Amino acid sequence: MIVLDNVTKRYPGSQDVLSNASLQIEQGEMVYVTGHSGAGKSTLLKLIAAIERPSNGTVLINQQNVSKLRESALPYIRRKFGLVFQDHKLLYDRSCFHNVALPLAINGITGADAAKRIRAALDKVGLLHKEKMMPITLSGGEQQRLAIARAVVSRPSILIADEPTGHLDQTYADDILSLFSAFQQVGVTVIIATHDALTTAKQPHKVLHLNQGRLSMPEVSV
Amino acid sequence: MNRWLNSHLQTLKQVVARWRQHLFSNLLISLTIAVTLALPVIVYLVLTSFSHLTSTIQSDSHISVFLSSSATPTTIDSIHNILTTKEMIAQFHFAPKAEALKQLMMDSNNSNIISTLPENPLPDAFFIEPKSLASEAIEQLKNELAQLDGVEAVQVDDAWLKRLSYLLTLGQKALLVLASLLGFALFMVIGNTIRMQILTQQEEIEVSQLIGATHRFIRRPFLYAGAIYGFVGALFALIISTAVIALFNLSISALATAYQSDFSLRLPSLEVTLITCLTAIGIGLFSAYFAVAKSLFKSIQ
Repeated sequence: MIVLDNVTKRYPGSQDVLSNASLQIEQGEMVYVTGHSGAGKSTLLKLIAAIERPSNGTVLINQQNVSKLRESALPYIRRKFGLVFQDHKLLYDRSCFHNVALPLAINGITGADAAKRIRAALDKVGLLHKEKMMPITLSGGEQQRLAIARAVVSRPSILIADEPTGHLDQTYADDILSLFSAFQQVGVTVIIATHDALTTAKQPHKVLHLNQGRLSMPEVSV
Repeated sequence: MNRWLNSHLQTLKQVVARWRQHLFSNLLISLTIAVTLALPVIVYLVLTSFSHLTSTIQSDSHISVFLSSSATPTTIDSIHNILTTKEMIAQFHFAPKAEALKQLMMDSNNSNIISTLPENPLPDAFFIEPKSLASEAIEQLKNELAQLDGVEAVQVDDAWLKRLSYLLTLGQKALLVLASLLGFALFMVIGNTIRMQILTQQEEIEVSQLIGATHRFIRRPFLYAGAIYGFVGALFALIISTAVIALFNLSISALATAYQSDFSLRLPSLEVTLITCLTAIGIGLFSAYFAVAKSLFKSIQ
């Protein structure tokens, strides 16, 4: 469970990027964070993923208070999340297989055990036949799916994606969103930031709308 | 434990693979490190060879104790007994005045002059070989000996000993300064190389941090890289210094034969090899640690 209580985030020399945001996300929920560019979506996701600390307020992840944790404890909190970044952040100096291997290596899982899980993750996103290829040779949609494979390979309980369909055409975007739905159906909490209209979401989901750093009341739609 | 060992093994594999990927440039860097290391190693080897030489020459150096002409055999015996108890003395021998005169007479020029003398002008003497070359210790021994009954004069031929020991001290200081300066240079060379590597892997570092890598995880491959640079550099340095010393020895042995000595410069011993490798690895680790600490975690906070 993720709880934000009155959270404000301010960067030095700027106005509040996020002000007095309070929310609660249950395990297994599907949540969309919507809003214009610069509304604070990415900041909200970074706060949830323990990449940033709040300037004010509390962020609780499974009852652990992120703002009170020691710097050295943060990496372990971050491992609970699978992250899909806006710009993929794939590593172009290694094959698809080795890109997906990174989170496992961080968790100390290597060798045959790791290989099995990497192939399972690649299979899930339909890239198993491309494991030896370099990411630069993949299309935009395939790169996005590779990023998802990397996010889910360590079987996180929370999946966070920042604009996962941003640069994709509708067919690819539908593909990606149905992938996320599949994860949600097996009990993973999925949090997706997006600025486009969500015509394709079929499952019931919660929408958190951000406008200039202010969070409107969450609404549940079907 | 197994997992811990495994992750270290993986890191080592990964670092070695990266090393081989850029084999040529890594060898060049290691050679730079090797040249930096070889210099103090060569100076050290030359210096120890010479101080070894002085300890063999030491048998030629001595303190001469001349007894007064009135010294009786009992006095001589008691001095003999005192000398045997002195710890500073490696060995000594007694030269009675009759024997000294006999030696002097062997030269025909001297014998003419000496035969005109009414009596033997030479004193009885002890020739002492001290254990240490340290000038204070020798000075103290000299003072003690001068106060003994029946001793007329104590003469130390230590002028050249002093000069040599000053020169060796100077050499040791020079070595210390050289080693510290070059150690610093090594620190900078390895540190800069690691910083370059960090730059090329900035993305990987950033992503790893975002998905939960600890500082230790990120630092580890760079520490290995630093240690490997140090180790390979040290191996090259030992090869270089062995080659240089061997080259010197070719000329030195010719020179030494002319002086009827079997002196040659020493090659690196096991001890020198170990110390060189460990020092280089230590500097590698240390500078890698600093390089990573300075370059890390800019991406997040």
